[in-house]
Amino acid sequence: MSGVPFKNPGWAGNTGEFDLTEAQVRGDEFVGERPKAGGHPSGASSYPYMLAEKRPEAKLFEGDCQARFEKILTRYPNRQGALLPTLALAQEVRGHVSPETMDEVAALLGLAPAYVRGVATFYTMYNKRPVGRFLVQVCTNISCNLCGADDVMEAFLRYTDTEPGETSEDGLFTVIEAECLAGCGFPTCVQINSRYYENVTPADVPGIVEHLKADRAGSAG
Amino acid sequence: MAYPYVSDREVRLLSKGFGDPKARRLDAYVERGGYQALRKAFGMGPDAVIDEVKASGLRGRGGAGFPAGVKWSFMPKEPTRPHYLLCNADESEPGTFKDRELIRWDPHQLIEGVLIAAYAIRAKQAYVYCRGEFFETSSVLAKALEDAYAGGYAGKDILGSGVDIDVTVHLGGGAYICGEETALMNSIEGRRGQPRVKPPFPAAVGVFGMPTTVNNVETLTAVPHIVANGGAWYRQWGTEKSTGTKLFCVSGHVNKPGNYELPLGFPLMDLIEDVCGGMRNGKALKAVIPGGSSVPILTAAECRGVNLDYESVQAAGTMLGCASVIIMDQDTHMVKQVRRMVDFYAHESCGQCTPCREGTAWMAKILRRIEDGRGTAEDLDTLLAMSRQMTGTTICVLSDSAAAPVVSSINKFKDEYMALIRRGERAGVA
Repeated sequence: MSGVPFKNPGWAGNTGEFDLTEAQVRGDEFVGERPKAGGHPSGASSYPYMLAEKRPEAKLFEGDCQARFEKILTRYPNRQGALLPTLALAQEVRGHVSPETMDEVAALLGLAPAYVRGVATFYTMYNKRPVGRFLVQVCTNISCNLCGADDVMEAFLRYTDTEPGETSEDGLFTVIEAECLAGCGFPTCVQINSRYYENVTPADVPGIVEHLKADRAGSAG
Repeated sequence: MAYPYVSDREVRLLSKGFGDPKARRLDAYVERGGYQALRKAFGMGPDAVIDEVKASGLRGRGGAGFPAGVKWSFMPKEPTRPHYLLCNADESEPGTFKDRELIRWDPHQLIEGVLIAAYAIRAKQAYVYCRGEFFETSSVLAKALEDAYAGGYAGKDILGSGVDIDVTVHLGGGAYICGEETALMNSIEGRRGQPRVKPPFPAAVGVFGMPTTVNNVETLTAVPHIVANGGAWYRQWGTEKSTGTKLFCVSGHVNKPGNYELPLGFPLMDLIEDVCGGMRNGKALKAVIPGGSSVPILTAAECRGVNLDYESVQAAGTMLGCASVIIMDQDTHMVKQVRRMVDFYAHESCGQCTPCREGTAWMAKILRRIEDGRGTAEDLDTLLAMSRQMTGTTICVLSDSAAAPVVSSINKFKDEYMALIRRGERAGVA
């Protein structure tokens, strides 16, 4: 991680009688480095949908990702069952799921391309177009909204100099409104790539944005 | 250890591990008696396990409150086809944040519950359907599950019993509707997450066309405790019909928001004033949504005397849902908050049924118009008429859920709507 001073590392960051480290709260110290090839097959479908590093031209799939794809297939009674995890894996590699990617996934699973497009476009988490290195999703639903989420959203837009859903000129940030992220007791809840940031106030936003800028290598993702 | 707030009025059965980073580990779980209930269940046999859960009175914690043991008993007793257990961890109801905590602080408690339930319904495959955003949470679960496999607690011949149960973590794609059990089944099958018409019910035709039971995370985490200690033991908490403890997810304008595990039947005002340390900044209470955004709103006056069990909350004209208690103070802009909730339902409507697809979108537009001072008194009649057409007319209850806060807020906070409408009219005349 970068050396930028950084408040609010996650759950209950600075509230309550909180006395744990970020790694203890997030479970990072328990999970450790996740094996790229998927580890035990029972967890092979539980991987990130969004990393900072995106390779839109990468092959579907090769190396560790191919190994993970094969593990995923073993957990469903038919290939169609593996569709959502396979779309997630494709997005993890390429950063978004283009119509061409949908067609390739269809071919991998023996499904009709039109069918896969119908499914992929139903789910909001499959990005239909490229996004920045950091996809910032700000919950503005009721519990966060009661505690000022609109101001947090506005602050992210201001400090990244973007419009909702647009990617900043430096390619670093895409900021969107999210529906409830299930962190309602720790408002405002923000998801940045795969990580949750909680109890975020507008005053925290410049620090978070600077932290991410300094962390271009993407470990925050 | 303090998670981030605790209250001495809590009964921490399921939430014991919250805030304790060691609780996630298999050795620590086994040390405090973990997986003993699974061993005991294998000795009892599936039907005795179902009977014990029936005896406990445990009701589904996902919102509907259907008795869990009764649900299990709908599954065929002599399997001729594969059976499936689905654990619903698609936690998406605005105001609800308990399942994520249950999974990431104490994953083995859930895994043991999943295994016992799968055994009881004679399933050899269980899926834990986590909402797609739960990457960090599902990583913890995946790691714990890997440890459980390595320790012989999952997979083939579990604990030497001859029982085989595989558990798989599955991530959704970001769709609230997949928390509806038949939509969840479609989603696991690699389809659009659209609810199915019932009947057939999942116990007859479920995921992949096979007999299926769907249970919420919190329901399943209660199961090891019930099997270990007995159904009668569990009934020492709660009321006659709402037994046991429940996680209350408190959010909004209180001093100490968070998850609190309390006996069902706990007084709502005690939750706000005592457990949660009262209203933030000394403001007055205006309204409470007791069960997540899908249930009718209570005014401050209506909250007095309400106890938080399924029956009492229903008697007060709303629902306990998943006990997601959203607290609003005197400064809350009610029309804006209702509009934000309806925006959510409009976004999340799966689009199958016309009353929902069209109704939620139009409601959102009309509410936005009123909020912006361009509404008319007639708009309120339109909203109420639409609500009637959106209730009980669709495959699932998403549409009913969107209508609930609209109807209750118009009935109970009409002054606020009218103030916005009049202000707009005056501005128009000027």
